[in-house]
Amino acid sequence: MHHGASSRRFDPGAPTGPAFRPRDPVDFVVIGAGAAGGVVARELSRAGHTVVLLEQGPYLRASDFNHDEFASYQLEEITNNHRSQPNTFRTSEQEEAKARAVIQYARLVGGGSVHFTANYWRFHEIDFVERSRRGSVDGAAMADWPITYADLEPYYSRVEWEVGVSGLAGASPFEPPRSRPYPMPPLPIKSSGVLMERAASKLGWHAVPAPMAILSQPYRGRPACIQCGFCEHFGCEVGAKSSSLAAMIPDAEATGRCQIRPMSYVRKIELDRRGRAIGVKYFDARKREIFQRAKAVFVCANGAETPRLLLLSASNQFPNGLANSSGLVGRHLMFNCYEFTGGVFEHEINGYRGMVVTRIIHDTYELDPKLGLAGGGGFDFRFDLPPIAFALGGLGADAPTWSGKFKQMLRESYTHTLFSLAHISQLPVATNSISLDPTVRDAWGLPVMRLTFKEHPNDERLIEWFSQKNVELLNAAGATRTWHFPPGRVYPEVHLLGTCRMGNDKQASVVDRWHRTHDVPNLFLVDGSSFVTGGRGQPTMTIQALAFRAAEHAAQMARRGELGAG
Amino acid sequence: MSDIPVTRRNFVGAMATGLAATWIAGAWRAPMALAAGTGTPAAGPTLTPAQLRDLDAVSALIIPTDDAPGAREAHVVDFIDRGLGTFAADQRPLFEQGLADLAVRAARRHADAKAFADLDADNQIALLHELEAEHSEFFEAVRVSTITGFLADPKYGGNTDKVGWKLIGFEDRFAWQPPFGWYDRDASRSE
Repeated sequence: MHHGASSRRFDPGAPTGPAFRPRDPVDFVVIGAGAAGGVVARELSRAGHTVVLLEQGPYLRASDFNHDEFASYQLEEITNNHRSQPNTFRTSEQEEAKARAVIQYARLVGGGSVHFTANYWRFHEIDFVERSRRGSVDGAAMADWPITYADLEPYYSRVEWEVGVSGLAGASPFEPPRSRPYPMPPLPIKSSGVLMERAASKLGWHAVPAPMAILSQPYRGRPACIQCGFCEHFGCEVGAKSSSLAAMIPDAEATGRCQIRPMSYVRKIELDRRGRAIGVKYFDARKREIFQRAKAVFVCANGAETPRLLLLSASNQFPNGLANSSGLVGRHLMFNCYEFTGGVFEHEINGYRGMVVTRIIHDTYELDPKLGLAGGGGFDFRFDLPPIAFALGGLGADAPTWSGKFKQMLRESYTHTLFSLAHISQLPVATNSISLDPTVRDAWGLPVMRLTFKEHPNDERLIEWFSQKNVELLNAAGATRTWHFPPGRVYPEVHLLGTCRMGNDKQASVVDRWHRTHDVPNLFLVDGSSFVTGGRGQPTMTIQALAFRAAEHAAQMARRGELGAG
Repeated sequence: MSDIPVTRRNFVGAMATGLAATWIAGAWRAPMALAAGTGTPAAGPTLTPAQLRDLDAVSALIIPTDDAPGAREAHVVDFIDRGLGTFAADQRPLFEQGLADLAVRAARRHADAKAFADLDADNQIALLHELEAEHSEFFEAVRVSTITGFLADPKYGGNTDKVGWKLIGFEDRFAWQPPFGWYDRDASRSE
């Protein structure tokens, strides 16, 4: 933000678009302007509906983003701030939860799509039907999705073409069927990608161009990537990263029917006596409470804040939380599992130059049933640590942390290191949950989210299996030294999934196959909370495909007059 | 989320916990404040010359000078001192108490030593190992802030002439074309 206040052309907290009055119902209020909310607001406003898009964080532009690691790396300005919005954590329902920063999500217009790495894997067919194909797992709430890959495929293609994804159709033998090629070729390969190809060929695997939500060519008025190397944890200063902020929000604004209200923190969804949503109460930047009326409500606040808001919206009609007749709101929380292994190489990799990932491996997406492991995963080779972060934590757990030896290691390894990162399934477990903490309040006086979480044993076995594969890959690539971070949960958790799962059975799910809550006919939830199972990491592509599909259906319902008068 | 404490991201995220977090998160406010003209560094140093001398001696052991510049040539102490006067003012007591304690410990090691900087190299290193073994908050704060100052943008007062970035091979060009590294030099030619 070194451009500073003097050059700022706008107030990042000021509403933009038409000036809807809170007392006049708009067609839709959309809560959360991230990967899902940006798509929903764009699609509904382009379909002719009036939309108020509420976002708890600021509205920054591309010119606000920079490469200042010291200022930006942890980005507390654009992520949830654990001093004003603490989490509490426990491993079982018998424990008392203690304050612990676990959940991280981006808190600005564009949400996590602003500062993410931009890996855009589609889910595969297995991800929707794992329960019926591979059977149940003790202690896990495995279930098929109410939709299949084929149902979602057209929307994956829409994401690729409308949001802007680069890649190479048909490169991967494991790729599920697709109706269209990518709209643009992959980004150029880096040394990490060449090494991954070398490793894959030795293991008999396939390293294929990574699908990335980053433009390899100018597209729809946005420029191609300049290869600055600062994707992960940073916003894109040229708009080549296909965030909601760059790709969806401008279209929504261009309709003249979408008002974006940043710095708006929603505290409750209100119902009328018939049990229909009539609007939402939120705090504006000055903590004044405002009630915005609406004919229908979309919650796209992420897999942690969406269930929290439903629980905060408890009422006489829904004493256990809004749309929670199933008792499942907040349950089946999943983060995805990861395993990172570091490798040091003889020659320069210069991983800090250019986009983070150029090749991926999906040979392990579905594992041999003989292994007795549910789920699977994929790999990328990446180097995603800017200088300070690398020096503080990227040398390996046993490396010196000061002294001449430390300096020598820094000197030798910054340009010669990469990480093999396995993106791994995590199983849904009913007791892993988001609930409201009974005592701790946030800076607005609202109960904070309480996490109850313990890995399923399958998670730990998968991590162990992939950890060995990471070493095999790095050795096959020619690493001179490899090392693991000790096993355990990744922190902070950024993939927030499963907490309002979709399904056909209203007793076993929160939303239906169109993301409408079973309990409230004009209340929709679409974001990571809708997931039934967690795939193999990289959820954002699927979140956006679901959002396109849900918005299209809701617009049809609205046209048919099913979502309220007028 | 087992109790095994260290994973890659919380290891890296040492930055996001405890003291390091305060330093980093506090620093976030700096560019905003500087832009608004309220966070300009104070006219003079925050710490006393004696405190700065000891701080310099400690940071010069964390990233020593050899054939390449270290913390001293990067003016890490200026970075820390500026921080303690502005965005990290809340950590000033920790540094002042830590430096006072350091002087006491130095005197205990050698009767003639009035300050840490007066000790010979072996005794200095031994004393830092002692602090490290005690999980000293002060030592961790100096270590993290030294490394941070060594590698942060030079506009914050450290990393003078980009010596930290040069040491590790980081070029602040922020726009690249293939080839990016040694291994893709042929790939980019054929594409």
